[in-house]
Amino acid sequence: MRARFLLPFLLTVSITGGALAGFIYPAAAADDLPEPFADTSRLVSVGGSLTEIVFELGHGENLMGRDTTSTFPPEVNEITEVGYSRQLAPEGVLSVAPSAILLLEGSGPPEAIDVLQKAHVPMVTVPETFTGEGVLAKIRHTGAALGEKEKAEALAAKVAADIEAAEKLTADVAERVKVLFILSMQGGRVLASGSGTAANGMIEMAGGVNAVEGYQGYKQISDEVITQIAPDVILMMDRGEDLDATNAELMANPALAATRAVANGRIIRMDGSYLLGFGPRTGAAVKDLAQQLYGDQVAR
Amino acid sequence: MISAQNVNVWAGRRQILYDVSLTAQPGQVTVIIGPNGSGKSTFVKALSGDLPYTGTVTLNGRDLKHLRPDAVATMRGVLPQHTRISFPYTVREVVELGLLHRSSTEGQHHMADHALAMVDLSGFAGRLYQELSGGEQQRVQLARVLCQVWAPMLEGTPRWLILDEPISSLDIRHQLLVMRIARDFASRGGGVIAVLHDLNLTAAFADHVAVFRDGQIATVGAPRSVMKDGVLCDVFQCALRVGAVPAHVPFVLPQTVNETP
Amino acid sequence: MSGVSRFSTLPFGLNAVVAAPEGDRSVRARFVLALLAVTLVVVAFISVATGASEASALGLIRDWFGDGQDAALSARDRLIIYDIRMPRVALGMLVGAALAVSGALMQGLFRNPLADPGIIGVSAGAGLGAIVVIVLSGSILGPMVALFGIYALPLAAFLGGLVMTLSLYRIGTRGGETSVATMLLAGIALAALCGAVSGILIFMADDRQLRDLTFWGLGSLGGATWVKVTAAAPFVLVILATSPFLARGLDALALGEASARHLGIPVQKLKTTAILSVAAATGAAVAVSGGIGFIGIVVPHLLRLLIGPTHRYLLLASALLGASLLLLADAISRTIVAPAELPIGIVTAVFGAPFFMWVLLRRRGLLDL
Repeated sequence: MRARFLLPFLLTVSITGGALAGFIYPAAAADDLPEPFADTSRLVSVGGSLTEIVFELGHGENLMGRDTTSTFPPEVNEITEVGYSRQLAPEGVLSVAPSAILLLEGSGPPEAIDVLQKAHVPMVTVPETFTGEGVLAKIRHTGAALGEKEKAEALAAKVAADIEAAEKLTADVAERVKVLFILSMQGGRVLASGSGTAANGMIEMAGGVNAVEGYQGYKQISDEVITQIAPDVILMMDRGEDLDATNAELMANPALAATRAVANGRIIRMDGSYLLGFGPRTGAAVKDLAQQLYGDQVAR
Repeated sequence: MISAQNVNVWAGRRQILYDVSLTAQPGQVTVIIGPNGSGKSTFVKALSGDLPYTGTVTLNGRDLKHLRPDAVATMRGVLPQHTRISFPYTVREVVELGLLHRSSTEGQHHMADHALAMVDLSGFAGRLYQELSGGEQQRVQLARVLCQVWAPMLEGTPRWLILDEPISSLDIRHQLLVMRIARDFASRGGGVIAVLHDLNLTAAFADHVAVFRDGQIATVGAPRSVMKDGVLCDVFQCALRVGAVPAHVPFVLPQTVNETP
Repeated sequence: MSGVSRFSTLPFGLNAVVAAPEGDRSVRARFVLALLAVTLVVVAFISVATGASEASALGLIRDWFGDGQDAALSARDRLIIYDIRMPRVALGMLVGAALAVSGALMQGLFRNPLADPGIIGVSAGAGLGAIVVIVLSGSILGPMVALFGIYALPLAAFLGGLVMTLSLYRIGTRGGETSVATMLLAGIALAALCGAVSGILIFMADDRQLRDLTFWGLGSLGGATWVKVTAAAPFVLVILATSPFLARGLDALALGEASARHLGIPVQKLKTTAILSVAAATGAAVAVSGGIGFIGIVVPHLLRLLIGPTHRYLLLASALLGASLLLLADAISRTIVAPAELPIGIVTAVFGAPFFMWVLLRRRGLLDL
């Protein structure tokens, strides 16, 4: 069974991986906390969730540079943008004279990271896992790098409580809601999330069930399978101004149009970095999603 | 009659033909000879409508520029020097391309077979064109052109064969075969214009000879009057002698074959 | 001295039945055409009956021939078969036929078995159109894309292909005469330019857009709707309708442009018609299904080896075989990694390339490349 999927899986993964700028997988394990930076006066943060954590830990003023995926809190707009996390230009990052760089797992390309290492700027790569525990690990890791272990513990505890409370909301639900997360619908083809993604993680934490099973990552799903899996809800990112698939596009696909989700108008859109960031706001996001999924069934 | 009046042809800035005028009569084999680069092929290409030219070319009294290509195709067939084909057509498929009007399949096959027999390629219909030798390919093309202008006369109007070096890649037997086809075509009322390199075959088969030099016609007339020592030496820049017998080397003249009944 | 015919033994023992004269492959060609037509019908039926779900062929047949009282197909199965699979099969047939015939026409026009529809710039232009919409729809082109909604992408691809081809055509045509050699060279230059612009757009793209781009480039019949089918159909039907008229001219063109003219073929008209039909048909095909390769080269080539290069049969046979092959490839792409779908361009390449290699090695020397 595994073998049957291996080759096509490798093909699709390598294609997607090849098109995107390239990934780096750090060797650091989640519980392997880094040494604190010597000098945290001029920070560069690459990764939206890391930026949020930096602010929460009180080092917002030290941020001299941030990447394009860092969009929260609103204060980030004052900070210099140094590029897209997966396509960093080393010169851009170095142009703000950083004393320390925080990178989220998945930043790249490897060549740029290499150059930054050669420039002898202290760098810490923070690992990412799409679970509640993963968020806490991120907070602790970042806190250790900033030399703010206590503040980090406090934040982690708060976020853990948020997430736990949110997960509890749906603990006793009788029937799980089936959610189909659609990344995009270019050309009428549905790119849906399988397992192992941020979307999948959020759906599970909010007490829902990913309607898609059988593959990992974001892939084009067969139209007729959509009718088979019969999702109750369609979840998408909201990037403002209907940039993503509009409801008209959803209706135009016969398989989607026939789902309960579309028929009942249960199409949820949430801001991308809020929903999928796996940062300090995750607790609130889980609660938000759970409420949208279960409505009255969930205690407020 | 094919008549060329004041034909000039340029290739880029270089002029190749200077005011060439020539008339070819039906019922005659008109042969064009001359050294390399004298403009023979260029002239024939202009007659065939392949190159732009200034001046007038008429085909059976009508200006070539005013005739539609499909109308011209019924009156005149052109045999080019080389034809390379990039796809695996059979000999029969190539020959039957010459049949302009679709008639019954049987009739078409019959004509194609007859044409192949005329060029001594009976039984070759099933072969692939690309696998044939250069000489065999040239004969296949001739068979195709013959299918195109099958009858030398069409409703009282003569039809034409324009042959650009038709025998260059053929052995002596087939060279004679092709020249006989040309002469036969002319004797039945059609017209033939051929570019040849072989002076002996020209002498044997031509009714009318035009000698080209440096883009102009040096002299024109019956073979007997054109093929003279002086003219040939001058045009071909080598000391040729007409009618002289070499002393110590053997010589084989195609004309001698001609004389045998 | 007398030639040995390779074709005196027809396949399937037909020699006894039909004594076709040597060198005439029309009987074999007609037989193969009939076979291909039947194959297409069978493959189409198999495609409608196959899929990632369990909607079955038996149910379909019972639905057609049943008395309607008995619900032979559940409502969901009915939806799958009539609204998901059927338009997809129809689209697959149109796209497969369009790509294969376009390939055959281009090979005939350029007198080269390696030519494919991309040679006149359609694919590069269509790809650029698609990338422009994918990357810029969030910014500059926002309002315009919003106007066309879901049709923005296919429309942009189609227009991109058409504009590229027309540009190449203009560049290659002087004094009313088109030089295919010039078009070829200009095509290389324009494709490079397209690549550069695409590169800039790729640089500007984010994760999601890159993913969209990649998958679009690999081709897919997913999201096929009857709307797409009716939009693409006229362009494909046009090329199928003009093909018989181009057939004889293309055969004559094999002798060279001069000889074709001597045979009375209106060569310029032939070129223009062929180029424009291919631009329209391939443009439409790429617009609705993305980049699908190999069909345009492999199908006509295979058929030439089987029935010869005579275009009267080659063009129609290419359409039939192209349609069948694409449907087969699509059936594979829909089922091999279910519930996900493998982009169909991968399937055509993975099967097409080795098969093509095998054919070439077996028949080495038969073709003048």
